[in-house]
Amino acid sequence: MFLINCPYCGERDQSEFSAGGEAHIVRPKQPTELSDDQWAEFLFMRKNIKGVQLERWNHAHGCRKWFNMVRNTSDDKIHAVYKMGEKPPIK
Amino acid sequence: MLNYNSPIMDAKNYSGIKISVTESVIKINLRGKNRDFITKIGKELSIIPPTDPNISSGNEKLNILWLGPDEWLLYSNDKIDFKNNNSLEDRLFDQISKVKLGSVTNVTDHWVMINLKGDNVFELLSSGCPFNFNDFKNSKGAVTQTLLNHIDVIIHNKNINDLNLFVRRSFSIHLWSWMNDSARFI
Repeated sequence: MFLINCPYCGERDQSEFSAGGEAHIVRPKQPTELSDDQWAEFLFMRKNIKGVQLERWNHAHGCRKWFNMVRNTSDDKIHAVYKMGEKPPIK
Repeated sequence: MLNYNSPIMDAKNYSGIKISVTESVIKINLRGKNRDFITKIGKELSIIPPTDPNISSGNEKLNILWLGPDEWLLYSNDKIDFKNNNSLEDRLFDQISKVKLGSVTNVTDHWVMINLKGDNVFELLSSGCPFNFNDFKNSKGAVTQTLLNHIDVIIHNKNINDLNLFVRRSFSIHLWSWMNDSARFI
């Protein structure tokens, strides 16, 4: 259990949130022009980093807004939280 | 025509807690993003929807709860006037939805409002809720959306130790049973 600082509601328990996987994956502009392998790469393949990762999260049991988070997957330390459309505060 | 029937019509008293569901009050979900939307709501209802999170605004007849940066719940303090029950919704629909400023949805039958009163209400809520009520319980008008016994709820701190809790109709009987069961052990 850990606390997440929702950019809209403030600090809440992790049980109110749901994880949405890796962030900043850009959807191809012309999906019909991609091969099956390229489409599968976009759709399924993720980095699955052990360490600091940029992730999407949803405050599912609160304001229901999506936002981004910089989280260390090995110790659950949250380095930053930022809104959708904003650039990550750290690289 | 909506069927304004609450699945629960009951009131229970426990040590320092009174839980009750009375007749339906009108509940309207408001969604809009621009400043004109907020201005129009303010003109129509004489209440400005709060833009700061986790608070509410209201007068003697209506309350507007902040649910998100572009979403609010409007509910009345008075019971539904069955002869004239759509006038508020119709007025807002004409002024907001029809001119595409935002959306107005009647959710009277979607949410069941449970009133909790007494010195031990936060003891009851804390027994099944991950939310920290330390600041909330002393802030009149505070609003939170959280989980209670794993069920989504909206809690409005109307007065000190006087809360209105909104739960989805389909979960209301289960939550009502849980609250009554838990209140016995507070």
